[in-house]
Amino acid sequence: MKAEPSRRLRLPRGEGAGAWLAAGSVALSLLALLALLALLTVRGLGHFWPSPVELVELEGGRQLAGERVREVPHAGGDGLERLYRIGNQDLEGGRWAWVRLSAIEAVSHPADLVVVERRRWGQAIGRLSAFQGASGERIEGEAAWPALEARLAELGTLRDARDRLREEVILPLAGRNDETAARELKAAHARLRELQSAMAGGRLILATADGEGLAVPLEQLLGARRPNAMSPLDKLVAWGEGVWRFLSEGPRAANTAGGVWPAIFGTVLMVMLMSILVTPFGVLAAIYLNEVAHQGRLTRLVRIAVRNLAGVPSIVYGVFGLGVFVYGIGGRLDSWFFEASLPSPTFGTGGLLWASLTLALLTLPVVIVATEEGLARIPDQQREGALALGATRLEMLSRVVLPMAAPAMLTGVILAVARAAGEVAPLMLVGVAKLAPQVPVDGDFPFLHLERKFMHLGYHIFDAAFHGGDVQAAMPLVYATALLLVLVILVLNLTAIFLRHHLSTRHGALTRR
Amino acid sequence: MSVVPFRRLIHWLLLIAFCVPLAQAQADDRDRGEAIVGTLGTMGSDTMAGLMLRWGEALVRRHPGIRLQLQASGSASAPPALVAGTTRLGPMSRPMSDAERHAFVARHGYPPRELTVARDALVVVVHRHNPLAGLGRRELDAVFSDTRRCGAPAAIRDWQALGVDWPEGRIRLHGRNAASGTQALFRRVALCSGLFRPAVNEHPGSAAVVAAVAEDPRSIGYAGLNHLTSGVKALAHRIDDGTLRAPDPEAVRRGEYALSRDLYLYLNVPPGEALPAPERAFLDLVLSPAGQAVVEELGFVALPEAQRRRQRRALALDDGG
Amino acid sequence: MLDSPPPTAVRRRLRQGRDRLATALITAGGIGVIAALLAIGLFLAVEVVPLFWPSGEASAIHAEALWGGGETAAEDATRHRWAPTATLTSGEAPRISLVPLAWGTLEAAAWALAIAVPLALGAAAHSSLFMSRRLRSRLKPTLELMEALPGVVVGFVAGLVLAPWVERHLAEVVACLVLLVPGLLLAGGLRSRLPARWREALPLGWAGLWLVPWLALVLAASVWLAPWLEALAFDGDLRRFLELRLGLDIAVRNALIVGAAMGFAVMPSIYALAEDALSGVPASLAEGAQALGATRWQTLWRVVLPAASPGIFSAVMIGAGRAVGETMIVLMASGNAALMTLNPLDGLRSLAATIAIELPEAGPGGVHYQLLLLAALALFVFTFLVNTLAELVRTRLRRRYRRLGGGS
Repeated sequence: MKAEPSRRLRLPRGEGAGAWLAAGSVALSLLALLALLALLTVRGLGHFWPSPVELVELEGGRQLAGERVREVPHAGGDGLERLYRIGNQDLEGGRWAWVRLSAIEAVSHPADLVVVERRRWGQAIGRLSAFQGASGERIEGEAAWPALEARLAELGTLRDARDRLREEVILPLAGRNDETAARELKAAHARLRELQSAMAGGRLILATADGEGLAVPLEQLLGARRPNAMSPLDKLVAWGEGVWRFLSEGPRAANTAGGVWPAIFGTVLMVMLMSILVTPFGVLAAIYLNEVAHQGRLTRLVRIAVRNLAGVPSIVYGVFGLGVFVYGIGGRLDSWFFEASLPSPTFGTGGLLWASLTLALLTLPVVIVATEEGLARIPDQQREGALALGATRLEMLSRVVLPMAAPAMLTGVILAVARAAGEVAPLMLVGVAKLAPQVPVDGDFPFLHLERKFMHLGYHIFDAAFHGGDVQAAMPLVYATALLLVLVILVLNLTAIFLRHHLSTRHGALTRR
Repeated sequence: MSVVPFRRLIHWLLLIAFCVPLAQAQADDRDRGEAIVGTLGTMGSDTMAGLMLRWGEALVRRHPGIRLQLQASGSASAPPALVAGTTRLGPMSRPMSDAERHAFVARHGYPPRELTVARDALVVVVHRHNPLAGLGRRELDAVFSDTRRCGAPAAIRDWQALGVDWPEGRIRLHGRNAASGTQALFRRVALCSGLFRPAVNEHPGSAAVVAAVAEDPRSIGYAGLNHLTSGVKALAHRIDDGTLRAPDPEAVRRGEYALSRDLYLYLNVPPGEALPAPERAFLDLVLSPAGQAVVEELGFVALPEAQRRRQRRALALDDGG
Repeated sequence: MLDSPPPTAVRRRLRQGRDRLATALITAGGIGVIAALLAIGLFLAVEVVPLFWPSGEASAIHAEALWGGGETAAEDATRHRWAPTATLTSGEAPRISLVPLAWGTLEAAAWALAIAVPLALGAAAHSSLFMSRRLRSRLKPTLELMEALPGVVVGFVAGLVLAPWVERHLAEVVACLVLLVPGLLLAGGLRSRLPARWREALPLGWAGLWLVPWLALVLAASVWLAPWLEALAFDGDLRRFLELRLGLDIAVRNALIVGAAMGFAVMPSIYALAEDALSGVPASLAEGAQALGATRWQTLWRVVLPAASPGIFSAVMIGAGRAVGETMIVLMASGNAALMTLNPLDGLRSLAATIAIELPEAGPGGVHYQLLLLAALALFVFTFLVNTLAELVRTRLRRRYRRLGGGS
């Protein structure tokens, strides 16, 4: 920008208020976006960092141990009150405790507080008072923790061995149907029982902050740690493990704990099916509109209509999908092919196929518009040249035009995928499930189960935040899921932006020549 | 367009169909008599989906030969499935209506057998620091509805009108969305089937109601008993003579708390015939102390001991446990 | 091609046949796809018909019940009421007025636009007039990313994070709103007092970026000043002031929260179109005005903006279409209370959110189902009309620019 002395003198008066307010609106939008992303990142990733466990002494001698969650002003009184996650739901009747700050006498971080993750009843927090091995020997005091850690590591290897045995030996054998297989299967089962009896038994006994005893059988144990005694490096390792478990495991405890693997899988699979459906049809329609149809008033109107369909609310597409695909076509399919299982619907209820089809319809305009733009950008000389050399229209389209328009199509498909990955409203009507632990792909014929319901990251956010058992408990996971979804969509969009940039520089040069 | 009448609650649908390989046989379960092999299918209530799932898991641990197919897409999906014979067990969070019962009798020639497997209750919740102790049906009606069919003289819109000096100002109302069984039950019992005020915030789940009330001292709402947290306080129900009935499990179990309901399991069993082994094993588990412990763990209320034993006897299950 | 032998007649006919077949297939496919897309409107219209022309056992719903209040029983204080599940099954007079839902939809969209339009137009004006080219080429994709943020994430943050925070910090929010504009002007004023070297380092072309930390500072300062403001202007407690003195109901999840979240979501699309319209104005116009001595801001206000006004109108229309149909944000941030008030601090309920919650539970073919389809049809028709209008205006605008002798 050139600096002219005269303008600089006038700037405060002339450019004045408006210019600064306009600049401010850019800044405000960027600030809002940054704040949103920062919130998701900090809360989403922070959840996996092992937070310290506080031992709180209250007025009147009561004690409690828990992780500090948040503070709010005490409603109807002065000062603040603090929310602790105290776990031990089976003893306390709830896993949260609100404590007035003024009622707290002392807060300490004893290194021997243990946080135990259980299959039932959620977390437990307390001091390890004893560990009881499988054979009944009881270890108390300081030696209990190392013994527990050793046993947990042992259980981990046993569990791995069991899973390997099942995956590599038993499941392949179960498919075969002959003498030797039966014999081997029997041996494998015997080995499995051995492993299982080696894993059975044992428990640990916790003493909670107010002195009660709590026994946790080792089968119920998902993990145990002493956050106050962990070094930053340990915490980093635990953080990494937490993130990995979040990505690779299924949800637990009515979607308030565990991971989101089925939702990731469902989202990706649905989006893949959708793009397989949308790409050929979108490209076909674009070629028809741009290359084949007579460029008259009607075509122009159709083009405007298609563009406008991109602005029709997604929920309307969902309604269409429910009415036409699910109730209409699905109901028909059921009465023709799946009569045996009626009245339980097979295709006459929401499922993977219908969801993909609905989203394909929803994103068709995006693909059509992007492809058309790519086609329109190809100079007519290219087409005329091809035709002049004796190519038929099909050859001209398939050898000259389509290869040149390919990046535009790709951009369109990626934009469509980014839009589809974030849509939730239509899915609520056509096939998303609250909990579907069985992913739609497995070893049973026909391997891909199009009629099954699936889980979806976006719907998982909605479900955990509004439907689940305990919103407070689900919040960190909701943050993490939201961050994951946003990351997926950002990556897809960045790819599209990069492609488009690349494309416009290349073809821009071409047109101008 | 073909109309199949029971496809409600699609987004609530929870479909679990897992086959459990023999590999999961647990060492401690091997010596429980002869092995039961077969498929157990159920279809029905989504409120009870968690219960059915946990019972199913426990059943498979006891009898590894049983394959489970649990579908939960709403109570209304159970009767058609029972009528058509696709399932013999239908969990429902409300009693069967007369029309549904007639349809069953018309098809099979005998009525379905009704089994009460757990109790559930609705609680009216306020913020944890709210001093209010309890509300009667008339007051609830005056707060939540503008039809006031239970006979309250005037609508109650401010906390002062409920006789507390804190919180002050307008009462903010929270509830479940229309078409949920929770809302229907509350409407029937607390509003004398009147209409809710439009100002009631309609949340898609009970947990969302509880979370909203926990955030806001001026609010009141109703939710399922199993969603209570320490952020809110459950109000007692004041009955006509003025005594308060708190929604504690004991009162719910004895039927003294008005806003409670039974959770049912409907069976298709011809008179004089025995149940197939998988179904029998399932009921044996559900009506055992271990099965009722699952009920408690999920926040519902277990059956009274006498009722549990009576139902066991009626099904000719041995009276063990 | 040149030195290959001339194709035989058979091969040529084969090629031509193949070509004709392919053309026919493309035509059929293209028309089929487009017909499938357009069938959406047709399907909704056909499904809704029985609602008005009942046949057989289906009960007739008087149009009066949908738009008017229906018979109002003496006990009932609410004229327009949406209670299909409660009244359609129990044999009472049906209370199925779509009016409160339509009201909620429009109210939410209006608040969203009230927030998004100034932001988007300001940003568009700044980026087309003042912003450095490098920043501008980065800003567009950034705002596109903002547009791509899923509604469910925005709705979650608005409903479960922002709404409770605002509820607890009402005064802080008011203070932020009050001090935002003075804070920005202060930045301009301070900059003009700075020594020239510093001023060079903070050019107006990059103001969109370096104002971000300044704004954060201003907002922090206003949060700090809030208790003082509350004591001074609102008797020490803003909520009591609003509730008791002004008689306003305050809901935690209210129309303003929805408006802020949805404004955030639709702002980028309005920005993109408005920026196109502004930078599409032939440069000769702006250059002429500046040559006559107008400042850049005057040029924008008096010359560029009037020339681009149809484009800006169509940008706002597109934004309105998006705001009306947005589902998840309203569903999660609004509380879904079917109220009809002008109070921006009260809850609302929109057509789209109602469809999303209730349609899966309404049996197909029933009156409730058809009512929800009618709501979907209303959304479809509204957005389609609005978008068509916007598209037509834009086409005309492009022609006008061409006539004005510019060209882009």
